[in-house]
Amino acid sequence: MTQTDIEQAELGSATKDGGKRSLWGALLTNGLYQSITETLFKTQRRQFVLLASFPLFWVFFAHLGPIVEMFWISFLDSYPPTAGQEPRFTFQNWAAFFNEQIFIIPYFRTLAFATVLTFSTLVITYPVAYFLAKHVSRKNQLLLLLLLLIPFWVGEIVRTYAIMILLGNNGAVNLILRWLGLIERPIPFMYTSFSLGMGIIYLTALYMLLPLYSALEKIPRNYLEAGADLGAGAWTRFRRITLPLSREGIASGCTLVFLISTGYYATPVLLGGPSTTVFAETIAGFFHVAGDQWPTGAAFSAIMLITTLAIAGIFLKLMGRDGKGMMQ
Amino acid sequence: MSGERDVIVHLDKITKRFGKTVAVDRLDMQIMAGEFVTFLGPSGCGKSTTLRMLGGFETPDEGRIVLDGTDVTRLPPNRRDVNMVFQDYALFPHMTVGQNVAFGLELKGKGRSEIDRRTGELLEFLQLGGFEERTPDQLSGGQRQRVALARALAPDPKLLLLDEPLGALDAKLRAQVQVELKDIQKRTGKTFFFVTHDQDEALTMSDRIVVMNAGRVEQAGTPEDLYFRPVSRFVAEFIGETNLLEGKVRGSDADAIVIDWNGVELRGSAHGHRPEPGENVMAALRLENVACHPDKPAAANAVQGRIVSRLFKGSRTALDIRVGERDDAVIKAYVDAAKAQGLPQDHLWISWDIERLTLLKDSA
Amino acid sequence: MTRHTRILMSVIYGAFVVYLFVPLVLMVLMGFKDSKFIGFPITSWTMDWYLGVFQDTEVLTVFAYSMTIAVSSTLLSLAIGTWIAAFLGPNRFRGKLIVFALTCLPAVIPGIISAISLRIFARLLDIEPGMLAIILGHTVHNVPFVALVVMARLSTQPKSHVEAARDLGADSVVAFFRVTLPYLKPALIGAGIFCMLLSFDDFVRAFFLGGYQPTLPVLIFAMLRSGMSPEINAISTIVLILTAVLGLWAERSMRRLNKGA
Repeated sequence: MTQTDIEQAELGSATKDGGKRSLWGALLTNGLYQSITETLFKTQRRQFVLLASFPLFWVFFAHLGPIVEMFWISFLDSYPPTAGQEPRFTFQNWAAFFNEQIFIIPYFRTLAFATVLTFSTLVITYPVAYFLAKHVSRKNQLLLLLLLLIPFWVGEIVRTYAIMILLGNNGAVNLILRWLGLIERPIPFMYTSFSLGMGIIYLTALYMLLPLYSALEKIPRNYLEAGADLGAGAWTRFRRITLPLSREGIASGCTLVFLISTGYYATPVLLGGPSTTVFAETIAGFFHVAGDQWPTGAAFSAIMLITTLAIAGIFLKLMGRDGKGMMQ
Repeated sequence: MSGERDVIVHLDKITKRFGKTVAVDRLDMQIMAGEFVTFLGPSGCGKSTTLRMLGGFETPDEGRIVLDGTDVTRLPPNRRDVNMVFQDYALFPHMTVGQNVAFGLELKGKGRSEIDRRTGELLEFLQLGGFEERTPDQLSGGQRQRVALARALAPDPKLLLLDEPLGALDAKLRAQVQVELKDIQKRTGKTFFFVTHDQDEALTMSDRIVVMNAGRVEQAGTPEDLYFRPVSRFVAEFIGETNLLEGKVRGSDADAIVIDWNGVELRGSAHGHRPEPGENVMAALRLENVACHPDKPAAANAVQGRIVSRLFKGSRTALDIRVGERDDAVIKAYVDAAKAQGLPQDHLWISWDIERLTLLKDSA
Repeated sequence: MTRHTRILMSVIYGAFVVYLFVPLVLMVLMGFKDSKFIGFPITSWTMDWYLGVFQDTEVLTVFAYSMTIAVSSTLLSLAIGTWIAAFLGPNRFRGKLIVFALTCLPAVIPGIISAISLRIFARLLDIEPGMLAIILGHTVHNVPFVALVVMARLSTQPKSHVEAARDLGADSVVAFFRVTLPYLKPALIGAGIFCMLLSFDDFVRAFFLGGYQPTLPVLIFAMLRSGMSPEINAISTIVLILTAVLGLWAERSMRRLNKGA
């Protein structure tokens, strides 16, 4: 054995005669590693506990934690705490919601708006999903779907801006209407419910389209053929076969769009006006201004969370699905 | 036969339950070094469970597994000197053939040059020389199987487990691979523990077959033992095709026995059983052991009958022969196709070697 | 499925495509307008705005800032999401449904609430609004997507592969890194790029968790609040190109995933 042989053998990376050993080989034959794993992996149970440790910590701490915290401080009278003063437990933040019209109106407006928009999005995207699932060959389906995805990757702010350009007083729509001679002065589309609705539908269409497409695509062609064979016309086939079978897609899509559309903040600010204030803006108002309005903001957020999840939950139950999971 | 070899595995009364089902029931068995032993049986008989317990993928609820003197019952698979060829081969798709075969050696901490040398040797040995750089998706089914075998042999295990590895191959290839496997086993001298539900396969390759049924061993022995001297109805029916004859014992002397079967007298061999006259017994007679003659032959146990059905099967013809008045008194026989043509329909004789009509331990 | 229906349907699809693309096309065009004011018609064209973007150090800093956040949070999300998937996927245990629901939670909460709760939580943990807060916020939000994608891929791995690895001497850790992780590669690439997109595009979390330095969406928002200008269009167009490239790349990787590579 030469000097280098001994050195290499000591480093653990080479055997005497067999050449260099791999990293994993060296690791597995290393005494320290062996004794560590001997104890750590001794039983199946122990391995499971190790595997579970971080995920459980993470989902409870990082996923559930913020929500729990939010509920917690909603019951305090001041947060962040002012120096020298102990925050006290109170219901006043929650009560504030019920007492002031200026808070209740945006709340109901948001819910109503979201419901109407969800339904509109459903009506608008259902034919598109149907077309893709039923009238296009499998190979082309992916391509055509991809085409629809491209506008969605650019993000909510850019897309909201694009709508602003479209609907502005000097925007494209007004330009065309003027050019066609239909109007003399620009129609103020912007800062209205119309512009906001348009914007949100624009942003959320895909979240309705994909679940619908997924559900429709799963309906076997021969169901419809059997229906036709038994004498059902096109509309009947749609009403009695396709529509019911796409129920899961409708449920997922509507739930997603509803939850997402209640959560937008930037779009209502940019596209909406004073008459369209949504609850998200109300909540945000408590955070970007003075520090000790946080508890109120937290209470309002909690109210909104409970409401939207409750509505979503009830809706899903009605449509015949359970579990909060998004398992498709 | 067993005196030549050492015991390499002792399955010491192992039991495995899944919920209420007993998959393996107090299995007690020894495997000799260098033998090709096959566990044979239908789905759910416990053969695969036994295999997985040997590999370390299941732990017995009771009993021990002793491998070459060491109790390995609770050892995980990576600590046992046992390797397995999986049913779907389980070749790692992101590695080359060479990397697959080298995997076990690499994890043992062997050096690069030793790994390369041994990998090359094994691939040559299995006629896959030069395949090191190919990936599994470029291989045929038979080639993949050989890579799986090479990979399992590389770490030089004490025991090689094979989990129905020929299932995915077509019939012709399967027959070829059976011979090859047997040959490889002989040349490497490794102990092969083979699991299958295909009795032809078991008969072709095994030194010893263990027939399992519902968690218990029905019979263990050489292929000839099982074929010619099945001890139970299950084994008789599972291996080959058999006439099952239930009747009352009329009398016996030495090892010969006379059974009253549906009003017909049959002579057979008791094989160590000592039934009382009047006792109900079941006997087995293989279809190809029934000889058919147009005229009465010289044999003592010849019986008259007439053909009620003929089925041409290519190399042979299956005959249903009625030998008595009762509806059930039909004996089936396999006869050479050409010979079958010369047999008269209404009037023929059948006979058999007394040794070939054996008593089963199941009573009627 | 008559011909009439088919034609009608394809018209609807076409109209939908137009509806999706037109605003973006207009936005791109407006970036070429030779004027400080946004509006149609465009009478004279210029490249100045686009050139200006590449010279504007403030904007370039913001791009880099958003990118850094995206990459960092993606790496974290991938690691955490994969670990969760490895835990949830193959194992059956009581309460699995709850853990799964909690895993998905950040993805189903309305955006504003997600941002607010994270802001409060950051304050609790004494994390200043800024880069770290945004990275953590994005990580939390993106983990569900990673977990779902990895779980789907993991469920297609034949059990025998891992068993074979263990049979040949690998313990659980080695088997995971040498056999399972390579198998997960397509899912990780697809999920990773998707996380990059989500992080890059995110407004509401970055807005509430950010400090003085804005991310790109926050910058654009601020610029829009003080009035529109073609400069914003130029920036937005570059974002459009960047995200389109990322998105198409993600789709290609996910496509290979479904082919069972």
